[in-house]
Amino acid sequence: MLTAEQNDELTQVAAGTPMGELLRRYWYPVAFTRALEEFPVQPARLLGEDFAVFKTPRGRFGILPEACPHRRASLAYGVVEADGIRCPYHGWLFGTDGTCLDQPAEREETNFRSRVRAAAGVAAELGGLVWAYIGPLPAPELPRFDVFVMDGVRDIGWAELPCNFVQVMENAVDPHHTEWLHGRFFEFMARHQGFDAPSSFGKKHVKVGFDAFDWGIIKRRVVEGASEEDDDWKIGHPLVFPYNMRVGGANIEQMQIRVPVDRTTTRFMLYSVHAPAGVEYPAQPQVPDYQIPLYDSAGRHRVDYVEGQDIMTWITQGPITDRTVEHLGRSDVGVTMLRRMYKEQMSAVARGEDPLGVYRDFRDRIDLPCEKNKFDSGGSFAIDFIERGSSRFSPQADALKKLHLKAMENRKG
Amino acid sequence: MTEPDLRRGWFRLDAERHRRDAPRYCPACATALSLADGGSGLTTEYWAGADRVFVCFCGACGWSGDIVLADRVTGHEAAD
Repeated sequence: MLTAEQNDELTQVAAGTPMGELLRRYWYPVAFTRALEEFPVQPARLLGEDFAVFKTPRGRFGILPEACPHRRASLAYGVVEADGIRCPYHGWLFGTDGTCLDQPAEREETNFRSRVRAAAGVAAELGGLVWAYIGPLPAPELPRFDVFVMDGVRDIGWAELPCNFVQVMENAVDPHHTEWLHGRFFEFMARHQGFDAPSSFGKKHVKVGFDAFDWGIIKRRVVEGASEEDDDWKIGHPLVFPYNMRVGGANIEQMQIRVPVDRTTTRFMLYSVHAPAGVEYPAQPQVPDYQIPLYDSAGRHRVDYVEGQDIMTWITQGPITDRTVEHLGRSDVGVTMLRRMYKEQMSAVARGEDPLGVYRDFRDRIDLPCEKNKFDSGGSFAIDFIERGSSRFSPQADALKKLHLKAMENRKG
Repeated sequence: MTEPDLRRGWFRLDAERHRRDAPRYCPACATALSLADGGSGLTTEYWAGADRVFVCFCGACGWSGDIVLADRVTGHEAAD
């Protein structure tokens, strides 16, 4: 339970608010590389602000506020050129650093051009996504987390959720929900809707634990039949502060990304890498991306897949859940830890420090701790993951299952 | 400000108790914890049996700890 003021502070994303300033210290995915290859400029909304994201013919990426500094027409309809982007209205040209390079209707001898600058962010490509940083310069390093750089078959499902991102993140430090939402509830819906629920999610939690570490919070659990020697406890998996969760198991590595688009919109992305040993991975000239469904034809939440169940709970909590009337129990200590971490890091930013997970020395690959044997369920987890998770909506779902089955066969042989 | 959730209005009394009982000052440096008092801390309440636990963080000195409101103090209980 929080006071209304604390809930308000925790859920802000706007510039000038403590949480908004904290969130502006990080990089976020704002477009698919594929989309900018198909058309070189795209609109993007991030932390309540609108931007144009573009890729020049020379291969440089840029992000500028959508409104042209001249008379505020949209640069998301701009003309992308070798040096930057030109406003469609009067042709003002801006470089990727926001410098105004040309004002065609102004006289050559004026210095007006040097007095106008777009408040540019920094953009870069990694792992099939275009990332942006819109905070104070110099920008920190774009974290090259393992899933974004490792070999394997990539697959990105996504959805835009009408709720604040913090309630999505609180789910990431709430292990107990798994056995209920993805266990008992899944079985209940399966009985009524006539499908098979996976068995791997319903195991009772005997113990949960949380440790703060360099990138966020490691979540651990012991499920019935397992022990502290098993991966779920010994290794666990991390909430990657402030807006990601790294999960995996049975040769599927995944980053669950929750981008705060604005205060009541979260872009949920499931960035998966299927990397079973013992097979050759097919080439992927482009990483496939696909939208996952939120609702059925009757307007009810789709709850016949794992992430659809999570999404149902996040959205039904309300656009900004009212934490003044919640009732947390001891099993919610991970949630209290995360809120405290947000607040600690808001304080760090207010003191002028870099918050958790912001770093400035290049690292080629950042490996995150993540269990391999999920819920003590062995190789069957990979097939459950595809058939009963969001990957079932992937255009390459069948190919992914075959990849894992073939790899299992090869490993046995 | 977050709009109150009218559908869950029957928990209003618990919200009032939280506002009344949450620790207002840091035990380490005595700076206000709550935003309403001009502080920069955070106090999250959870319930454990009959106890009410306030997980506190002080934005001024960095102190963090749990403050427990308990109706009964019991001895000779096995530790967790």
